Amino acid sequence: MSNEVMALIIIFVFVVGATVVGMIPGMKQKMSLEEWAVGGRSFGRWLNWFIMAGEIYTAFAFLGASGWAYARGGPTFYILGYGALAYLIGYYLLPGIATVGRKHNLLTQPDLIEKLYGSKALGIFTACIGIAFLLPYLQLQLTGLGLIIETCSYGQITRVPAMLIAFTMVALFVYISGLKGVATTAAIKDVIMMVAVVFFGLYLPFHFFGSLGGMFEALEAAKPGFLALPGGTKNLDVSWVMSTLVVTSLGFYMWPHFSANSFSAKNNDVLRHNAVYLPLYQFSLIFPMFIGFTALLVLVPALKTPDMAFMIVVQQVFPGWALGLVGGAGALACMIPAADLLLSTSMLFSRNVYGRTIGQNTSPETMGQIARVVVLILTAIALALAIFLPNMLVNLLLTGYSGVTQFFPMLVLGLWWKKASKLGAFAGLIVGELLVFGLILGKMDPMPFAGLNLNAGFVALLANTVIFVIVSMLTCNTKADQSSSAVIKNS
Amino acid sequence: MSLVKIILTLIPFIWTIGMIPFVNRVKPFVLGLPFLAFWLVAGIIVAFLCIKALYTIDSKNNKEAD
Repeated sequence: MSNEVMALIIIFVFVVGATVVGMIPGMKQKMSLEEWAVGGRSFGRWLNWFIMAGEIYTAFAFLGASGWAYARGGPTFYILGYGALAYLIGYYLLPGIATVGRKHNLLTQPDLIEKLYGSKALGIFTACIGIAFLLPYLQLQLTGLGLIIETCSYGQITRVPAMLIAFTMVALFVYISGLKGVATTAAIKDVIMMVAVVFFGLYLPFHFFGSLGGMFEALEAAKPGFLALPGGTKNLDVSWVMSTLVVTSLGFYMWPHFSANSFSAKNNDVLRHNAVYLPLYQFSLIFPMFIGFTALLVLVPALKTPDMAFMIVVQQVFPGWALGLVGGAGALACMIPAADLLLSTSMLFSRNVYGRTIGQNTSPETMGQIARVVVLILTAIALALAIFLPNMLVNLLLTGYSGVTQFFPMLVLGLWWKKASKLGAFAGLIVGELLVFGLILGKMDPMPFAGLNLNAGFVALLANTVIFVIVSMLTCNTKADQSSSAVIKNS
Repeated sequence: MSLVKIILTLIPFIWTIGMIPFVNRVKPFVLGLPFLAFWLVAGIIVAFLCIKALYTIDSKNNKEAD
């Protein structure tokens, strides 16, 4: 059998297999909106672990980490740091979110904000910002998937049909099974991904250099200092890594779909227990970096797209079946997070934007139907954007992590600080987001300041927090705020 | 929050963020890894142990409260 056919069959089996498994939960039972969106709040340790862990291994971790290692060197190592810190924050934060969620039957992040501040407008505003950051993220998964399948089929299947086929399948199982479908497929994806990255991540350095240390010695000899900071870059130095670690660890659970996943846990112990073991999963993020570093040493000529380093090096060293394995794993790494993103974006739109404005009197059953139809519409929109305007949303995507991190003061202080006020939240959030956009689109990320290079999100977060606290102190005595905050603070 | 819990919470942040200026070096290699990479990998284990300890303390307290 030729390499292309072999690779394509393997990818096909992976993609179809995951879809079928994902559809099973929804076929067995009829689901209410709560069951569909947050798994009926019934997830025990394992399902919750997989859905939380599965989030890390997206197309970015797979292709991006190896691409960063290939092009940038030392700064890539920040990726090893933020996850464990984020889980430590989650250890305190998620039980807080989930407690309020269970008490008031919340399904989404804007639900929570609306409840905390007793403000419908703030909820709608949060939902709109959330959608603005989730949509490009969804598109990125699509584009990544198209690239992977195109390379793995040696160009036999081009990008557009690949995206069409795979995403019709994602939309289908999200439509039928909701979060349970995402959780079961995430379990399969994690196992396959882990096998693929560990195998290739160790095999390639050993194959070419005899050992891991041998590979790094060779790299240090060829490019002294590339493996420290700022590595292959000019300004991603010590201060950049430090400020970026602050932004990414605080921002991790501010992604609307991550907050919502905590509502799926059966009880708070599930969340705390998982926070203990999730950091260990971070080890797996180092293997794609090994692949990127090996690719830098062995691939000649240099790659135009560093993000393709993983696949090109596998394509050159291994026969077709191996590339099929990587392609299949990579395709799942795009599909499963995309499924979760679709579900969350759909909930934000149907429940928090439509349901709070023109559709105020919609019954829960109708809302469930609408949320499912919105999944299909969003898939179509993301596909159209990925096909016709592949670059339009890049700017928005760049601002993603820095953008969602701006929710942090509003959410955390809203849960635990009695004086947090609606106006303070509005003011802080607006200032934070404007600074993020201004700095990043003005090519000021990282921002040079007194000899440091600070992550733009970090600068915005500081301003956001200061404004939030000052405005809250000034306005916390208004009547509306007191009645709203009482809802939560006494719980 | 007890002092022990505050310290357990701070250690991973100091290790992974606060120590960066002092560990930004390629050599010595540890376990085949450049020093900066080794330090951050070790940080994962440190965080795991700290969260594990927090969880143990909290579980005990919850049981006593029940």
